[in-house]
Amino acid sequence: MTDGNNDHILRSKEISFIFDGVSVTGHDGETVAAALLRGGITHLRNAPNSGTPRGMFCIMGACQECVIEIDGRKVEACRTTISEGLVIRRVPDV
Amino acid sequence: MFDAIVIGAGPAGANAAIILSENGLKTALIDEQRDAGGQVWRVKSKSILKAPITEAVEQGDALRDRLKSSNVTAKFNCRVWHIERQENGHWQLSVVGDSEKKLTTKALIIATGAQERVIPVPGWTLPGVFGLAGATALFKEHMMAPMRRTIVAGNGPLLFYVASETLRLGGRVSAVISLNSRMDWLKSLPAMLSNPALIGQGLKWIFTLYKNRIPIYWQHAIKAVEGENTVDGVTICKVDQDWAPVAGTDQYIHGENLCYGQGLMPAVEATRLAGADHHYDEKLGGWVPTIDQWGRTSMSGLYACGDNAGIYGALAAPIRGSLAAEAVCEDAGINLKKRVDSKKLKAAKNFGLAATALTIPRSGLEALITDETEVCRCEGIIRQEIDFEIKTGAQSPNAIKSGTRCGMGPCGGRYCMEAIALITQHRTRKTREEIGLPTARPPLRPVTIDDISDDLDYDDLPIPGVSPL
Amino acid sequence: MMPIFDIAIIGGGIMGCGAALRLADGGMRPIILEQGDIGQGASGVNAGTLSMQIKRVKLMPYAIRGHEEWQHMGDAVGFHKTGGYTLAFNDREAELLHDRMSMKKEAGANISFVSPKQLNEFEPHLAGKVIAASYCPDDGYANSSLTGQYYRKKIDENGINFIEGFKVTNIRSTSEGYEIASNGRTVVASRILIACGGWSKHIAAMLGVELPIRARINTVSVTERAPRLISGVIGHATGLLTMKQKENGTILIGGGWQGKGRPEEGRGQVSVDSLVPNLQLAKFVLPALSNIRIVRSWTGFEANVPDFYPLAGALPNRDNAFILGCVRGGFTIGPYISKLMGDYILGKEPEMPLFDPARKMEEGKLI
Ligand SMILES: Cc1cc2nc3c(=O)[nH]c(=O)nc-3n(C[C@H](O)[C@H](O)[C@H](O)COP(=O)(O)OP(=O)(O)OC[C@H]3O[C@@H](n4cnc5c(N)ncnc54)[C@H](O)[C@@H]3O)c2cc1C
Ligand code: FES
Repeated sequence: MTDGNNDHILRSKEISFIFDGVSVTGHDGETVAAALLRGGITHLRNAPNSGTPRGMFCIMGACQECVIEIDGRKVEACRTTISEGLVIRRVPDV
Repeated sequence: MFDAIVIGAGPAGANAAIILSENGLKTALIDEQRDAGGQVWRVKSKSILKAPITEAVEQGDALRDRLKSSNVTAKFNCRVWHIERQENGHWQLSVVGDSEKKLTTKALIIATGAQERVIPVPGWTLPGVFGLAGATALFKEHMMAPMRRTIVAGNGPLLFYVASETLRLGGRVSAVISLNSRMDWLKSLPAMLSNPALIGQGLKWIFTLYKNRIPIYWQHAIKAVEGENTVDGVTICKVDQDWAPVAGTDQYIHGENLCYGQGLMPAVEATRLAGADHHYDEKLGGWVPTIDQWGRTSMSGLYACGDNAGIYGALAAPIRGSLAAEAVCEDAGINLKKRVDSKKLKAAKNFGLAATALTIPRSGLEALITDETEVCRCEGIIRQEIDFEIKTGAQSPNAIKSGTRCGMGPCGGRYCMEAIALITQHRTRKTREEIGLPTARPPLRPVTIDDISDDLDYDDLPIPGVSPL
Repeated sequence: MMPIFDIAIIGGGIMGCGAALRLADGGMRPIILEQGDIGQGASGVNAGTLSMQIKRVKLMPYAIRGHEEWQHMGDAVGFHKTGGYTLAFNDREAELLHDRMSMKKEAGANISFVSPKQLNEFEPHLAGKVIAASYCPDDGYANSSLTGQYYRKKIDENGINFIEGFKVTNIRSTSEGYEIASNGRTVVASRILIACGGWSKHIAAMLGVELPIRARINTVSVTERAPRLISGVIGHATGLLTMKQKENGTILIGGGWQGKGRPEEGRGQVSVDSLVPNLQLAKFVLPALSNIRIVRSWTGFEANVPDFYPLAGALPNRDNAFILGCVRGGFTIGPYISKLMGDYILGKEPEMPLFDPARKMEEGKLI
């Protein structure tokens, strides 16, 4: 995702969180999905059965494609906001 | 206990809730987003500290301000997962994200809006493919456009909005692929003239594309999304009048994102779970609850307004919210001064219908779904398996679901049932009404046991009589 | 109108389809009339448990034969013999478990008792609060969703006529047999078999026969895919929980908790007031469930009569009319008892006795 020539948009301070062991930065208060997209990370998990790669799709909490794991719980990346030091795991393939 | 609960805080639902509470009804408004606004007037993320004011932002802020100064009990970040009618005719909602787990109300207004129709094609599951409506959520909530090059494909007005907004937010657009022909658009112009302002806006979007030399492929479809782990590009082809692919017209277009969708459908899970009658009306976007002109459903105490009761669009939504509120008040014996301007409603509805007409699925779309296409994203079920199931006798979405697992995954069938219906229609020649929908089941969204219950003291477990020996 | 079919079978569940197969095999020409899709009733939405440990003592011989039938159907119905454990968490349940399982063992089921320690070795994810447990190596499950697909294929292969979407609204008896009507369509047959599960009372009433049939509204839930947590079919001494993890990782949770609704009014509804304790009990037994999401809960109608034994035999006061249903654990027993029923209608002596619908029924004891 890009801000391109959008200098007129003022965003909150950058913070960092961990996705699958890697440190990623994002703006405080934005969703995990937005921060990951900005960081160029779209491949979040693999589908059961077909094993095909998946990422955010509906971006409104309906499709469940963007699920990630926080504290052992599955949550939607598009509906979860980041916070400093948040540790996110990929959902393991089953 | 509330007098009225409204599910969905978009322009329809939020407006209904405000009017209800102004008339003295104890009203709650529930939404899974963090504030009111719905999809069109979606509230910005907290991470946006300052941004240029657009019309949608202004309208959304006005609604949010009205709500804040009202007596409505707003429950945000709150999800309804089950709806039950109680014996006394009241409604019980099971929710997560609130201090209460159950809420009860005398009247229930469902205003859950629309969901996206996305026709499966090979590769549509690749990371980097977003719903068209999904892209607008990114724009509105996060004020960002996809990085690198974006291809925008599908039909209806959303296409041009997404392409021009991507440019406005600093993104790059490689092409716009429109199922609709120029002729389709010309034909819909007279009906759309009811709203010159919006027409002007639409022309501005298209003009932006021309100015930026973005190629627009009219009457073309995405045939396949290419790439290994993310999108590299798309193969497009020409389509005929029925939107069936025309052989020998393939072209390849590079891009790293695809925003893709074929219009909006009413989000009817909630009204279906509640048990209301529904019927199929393609002009309204698909399955809709059967309602009277105010929004009363077939069940007493249950009302529907906004796009989930037919895709009339954002302009009509607040007016429809007012109508539903009027009905609730009237049924509660409250005399409310009529505030709905029926001329304005009619104009808004006409405009909405014309926009929806551009997205009515045509018979050829089904041919874009190849044998190997994953139709059910959640369960990874390909078209071939569905065809086989129909060939061997499955005649309904329920039967196809049972036999293949299509629609049994976490999305609850939201993103495959439309394709299943198109395929079934093609194979059996039945009408959409005859094909029907699979039975509505809770939860409306996946929930964990911890979400919905407190810890158990084993001895408190209400153990009914033991099964007979 | 002259009858075209030897027998009209109302209801395309396990009972109706199973009987049709046997009848066709015996030379009769049956037709199955189903209001919705084949297998859409209890047969297609049940929890799929094939457990000796939850079968009633008197029905054990039928269940054992039913098991063999399922094993034979195999992959086509997702059959898995996993073994199963029944658990007790307090003294009362332990006593219940001991008494019941001893009787079932005597009735022929291969059941043994295991210590909590042994249980923990086999099923390490179960809560450590178990105080007594029993085990049956024959227990397992089949995938009830595949019932419709399986039987549709079978009856088709055997050239048996069936009409889906045929909701019987009226039955007229004539000197030649029965005229069965649905929305302007009529099917004529010499005999009739009511196999409508929870809807059977209503159909029998169309023939002027009052039967004390009631419907239970059982709830089942399924989770999303999870890593392997249990290997066998798990039950609870009270019968209020069944749990199994399918090959694909999803966990199916049942136990007969009651939803709402009546068969006449269409499908039943899930009631939060019983769903929540059902799931709480499941989590108590398998704590790892707390973080796994439930994706769907549903209900199905299971018919029974006061003594909780099947109705399988001639319909009282009517010629050439039969009824088959109300079998507790009917998913397990269905494929077998429907064969017996077929034989009975064919005029043969069934291998095991049926259950006369005209018998006097006393209210079954609930302990
Ligand atoms: C939720 C649930 C869980 C269960 N779990 C288990 C288990 O784990 N193990 C086990 O052994 N047993 C279980 N059972 C019991 C078992 O599923 C049933 O005993 C068995 O499937 C009954 O089969 P049936 O053919 O009699 O009824 P059904 O499968 O209900 O078939 C009756 C058919 O009649 C049709 N019909 C009704 N009215 C009409 C009409 N007017 N015209 C035409 N057609 C009509 C219906 O649509 C239906 O298809 C469970 C039952 C339920 C409901
Ligand atoms: S992208 Fe669909 S639920 Fe998050």
